[in-house]
Amino acid sequence: MSLIEVRALTKTYRQAVRQPGLRGAFRHLVHQRYTERVAVDHIDMSIERGETVAYVGPNGAGKSTTIKMLTGILVPTSGEITVDGIVPHKRRMENARRIGVVFGQRTQLWWDIPVIETLSLLRDIHEMPAQEYRKNLDFLTELLGLDEFMHLTARRISLGQRMRADLAAAFLHSPAIVYLDEPTIGLDIAVKERIRGFIKQVNRELGTTVMLTTHDLGDIQDLCRRIVIIDHGRIIFDGALAEMTDAFARERVLHFQLRTPCPTAEQELQRIPNVTVSGLSDTELSVRFDRAFISARDITGAIMQIADVSDFRIDEPSIDHVIKRVYDGTLNLAVRKGGGA
Amino acid sequence: MRLILRAWRRNAYLYRRIMGQNLRAALEYQSDFLLSVGSAMLTQVLGLVFLGVVFSRIPTINGWGFWQIVFIYASIFLTEGFASLFFEGTWRIGYFVNHGELDRILLRPLSPAVQLLSSAIGMNGIGNLLVGGVMIGESLTHVHMVWTPGKILFSVILLLSGIVIRTSINFASNCSAFWVKNAGNAVPFMVHSISEFAKYPLTIYAPALQALVGIVVPYAFIGYVPAGYVFSTSGMAWIAVLCPLVALYCAAVAGLILRTGLRQYESTGN
Amino acid sequence: MKAKYLSLASRSMQNSLAYRVSFIVNMSASVFYILAMFFLWRAIYAHRTSLAGYSWNDMKAYLLVSFLSSTMLSWYSESRMSSRILDGSVAMELLKPIDFQAARLAETAGTTVFEGGVSAVLVTIVLIVYAGVMTPHSPAAWIAFILSFAVSVLIKFGVVYISSLFCFWTSSGFGVAWARAAITNLLSGALIPLAFFPPWLRATAYFLPFQGIVNAPASIYLGQATGAAVWGTLLVQVFWCVVLWFLGRFVWRFAVRKVTIFGG
Ligand SMILES: Nc1ncnc2c1ncn2[C@@H]1O[C@H](COP(=O)(O)OP(=O)(O)OP(=O)(O)O)[C@@H](O)[C@H]1O
Ligand SMILES: [Mg+2]
Repeated sequence: MSLIEVRALTKTYRQAVRQPGLRGAFRHLVHQRYTERVAVDHIDMSIERGETVAYVGPNGAGKSTTIKMLTGILVPTSGEITVDGIVPHKRRMENARRIGVVFGQRTQLWWDIPVIETLSLLRDIHEMPAQEYRKNLDFLTELLGLDEFMHLTARRISLGQRMRADLAAAFLHSPAIVYLDEPTIGLDIAVKERIRGFIKQVNRELGTTVMLTTHDLGDIQDLCRRIVIIDHGRIIFDGALAEMTDAFARERVLHFQLRTPCPTAEQELQRIPNVTVSGLSDTELSVRFDRAFISARDITGAIMQIADVSDFRIDEPSIDHVIKRVYDGTLNLAVRKGGGA
Repeated sequence: MRLILRAWRRNAYLYRRIMGQNLRAALEYQSDFLLSVGSAMLTQVLGLVFLGVVFSRIPTINGWGFWQIVFIYASIFLTEGFASLFFEGTWRIGYFVNHGELDRILLRPLSPAVQLLSSAIGMNGIGNLLVGGVMIGESLTHVHMVWTPGKILFSVILLLSGIVIRTSINFASNCSAFWVKNAGNAVPFMVHSISEFAKYPLTIYAPALQALVGIVVPYAFIGYVPAGYVFSTSGMAWIAVLCPLVALYCAAVAGLILRTGLRQYESTGN
Repeated sequence: MKAKYLSLASRSMQNSLAYRVSFIVNMSASVFYILAMFFLWRAIYAHRTSLAGYSWNDMKAYLLVSFLSSTMLSWYSESRMSSRILDGSVAMELLKPIDFQAARLAETAGTTVFEGGVSAVLVTIVLIVYAGVMTPHSPAAWIAFILSFAVSVLIKFGVVYISSLFCFWTSSGFGVAWARAAITNLLSGALIPLAFFPPWLRATAYFLPFQGIVNAPASIYLGQATGAAVWGTLLVQVFWCVVLWFLGRFVWRFAVRKVTIFGG
């Protein structure tokens, strides 16, 4: 059995409908009306020990809701979850011992207590042996640079420092699994990289399983081999990151720089099927093509015969591009559902 | 049994640890600390002045003398003092629920009740404890009575029951935030102000109010009923046996409400 | 020039309408308090007809006035004033071409219109259902009472405003508000008519502004002050109202230096 098993997991929120105005308020008092909002809709997923999984999707897709169910904060409306053999919401405290969680938008730290005291409190809450605590604390202090703000209260530290402190709090008790919900939100590039490096190292050295939601595609490319895309509460892709780019990022763009103007080149190339050409100037051409139908070699070959090419480069589609098109609905990934890694 | 005992010991230890940190944080704001303690004391002393002024003109109210009513009055404040100093966190439940901060509590392997109770410290409670304690002490010395070891022991049990009743009612009423989902949830304040009735002997009220304070929201078991026992008021002493039971009942109801609330806690969208 | 204050007042009234449920529930605290007092006094008067010159009927009317006064300028207005200072938004206020004190008065007035409306309804119900409560003897006394009551709210504003300014020196508003409430309740006569006080305390209370909040309107309502005494009472109230206003300005000038010089 996998470390995390999710079967037909569903969460429906009840949202109160309130008519505006005084009359609406009174009517609500007498007769409450609700609409059901399905935030997570029958999702299935298995995650193995030591994996790093990116869990992505547009705003409101149901990512945070899923994480809250996996961590035991929310009780699912239906479906099953087991995490390391435990049903999180039924045995929440037991589950809490084995997991670490960061919600990027909100701190888990005590607001009025110095960071170091928070960590020491957490040690007691997790009943860690002194030696393990020392070791982990040193490790975290070094990797996350906690020294500079350790003695300040959470109230006084900056966003980037807070996020690092939150990560330390989440990893302190050597959890088997960490859930990171937007751990790099609002951070500058240097802090982002430091955090990514940290997560990678912990995953590599301690075999910690990581599930990460983010809107920063850099995070995904940097950290995760597997990607799960959710939209409107349903999983629309689940597979290896490379597989996704291979399968769906077939579009390439070739940019040519010509030594002398060549007015016929554009028309010549246009004749090749599945290719769109745009001329930027007399000496610049861009060729957009689908890798499944024609290769870059064929196109370069064709243009070399009619024009004097001085330079060229090829644009690979970035992963954001692919995901954006998935979100937009212009790229349909339904066929890939349930791929697994 | 061993396990349960161990869990309680751990809860108590962690509660003390967290409260210690709260205390240190609170002491940083020294002027606030003094002011809130001072104003709590002032409020109480002025309440006492009120009773004194009334009793300077009449000997008894429904058979209760000045010091006996002071005892009831002070019990309400003394338990309030305990509740704010040690369990001020009850008043933050609404905040935790409405802002999704409860998430954080649910992610730690420590009982949510312990974490909620220890989430704040109310330094003003010291003022209530001081004045309430002195008032009770004074009232006991001014009324002639016979103390036996058994009576002393049971009086301590009555005090502890009072603290549990008060805290449980606060806790339960604040848990209404799980269902009343607007920021200014007034239910806890309303329930709290019902304790206004418990400052005086129950017999002065109309039956409906007696039922409210004696049964529905049993504040009467904090001051009035113990006073009946301590001062051996005829026909009331045996009712005090109920106090510990009422305390257990209140605590159980509060726990049940919390559990029910947690099951349908929906966090927040962001 | 006055338009901006009017608009502040009307916005604050709309706000209190939006929070009407919590408003009315908060008012329940005053209701419970006054009910407890009612039964306490009823028990006291069970064996006597008069105490300190008050009959049971007088006392009921007194409680009604005291209740009315406690519902005006409630916790909501007070905490709104102090939180402006505590959360630092007072600095933003300084940037606006508005007088801080007048703006707070306008806001308070807006809320008080709503509070006054609700308590007027409550009091009318009490007077109809519980016919035993006496009312002022003549239309003239009614008018004098309403005038005096209106001024009493202004006095209460003055006291609350000045005490809120002390929040410049603290980081939480509770202590200040509690101390303020405790002192006001005793010395205004809200807890117990001043006539019950020992002579020295009574004399002190009469020389302080607080008595203008409950004692003054109550004495007019009960017909204890008649003829010239009514005018005297009103005049004293207005006097305190003005004094408190300027005292407020004076304290403000000290307090605001905390922001402008020390950065809050
Ligand atoms: N506490 C709640 N009560 C009611 N509805 C909620 C609640 N939390 C989330 N929702 C709804 O459920 C849906 C999924 O929300 P969720 O927070 O899981 O999205 P998300 O994928 O994390 O989005 P984002 O990227 O914006 O964080 C949204 O439509 C949201 O409106
Ligand atoms: Mg989210």
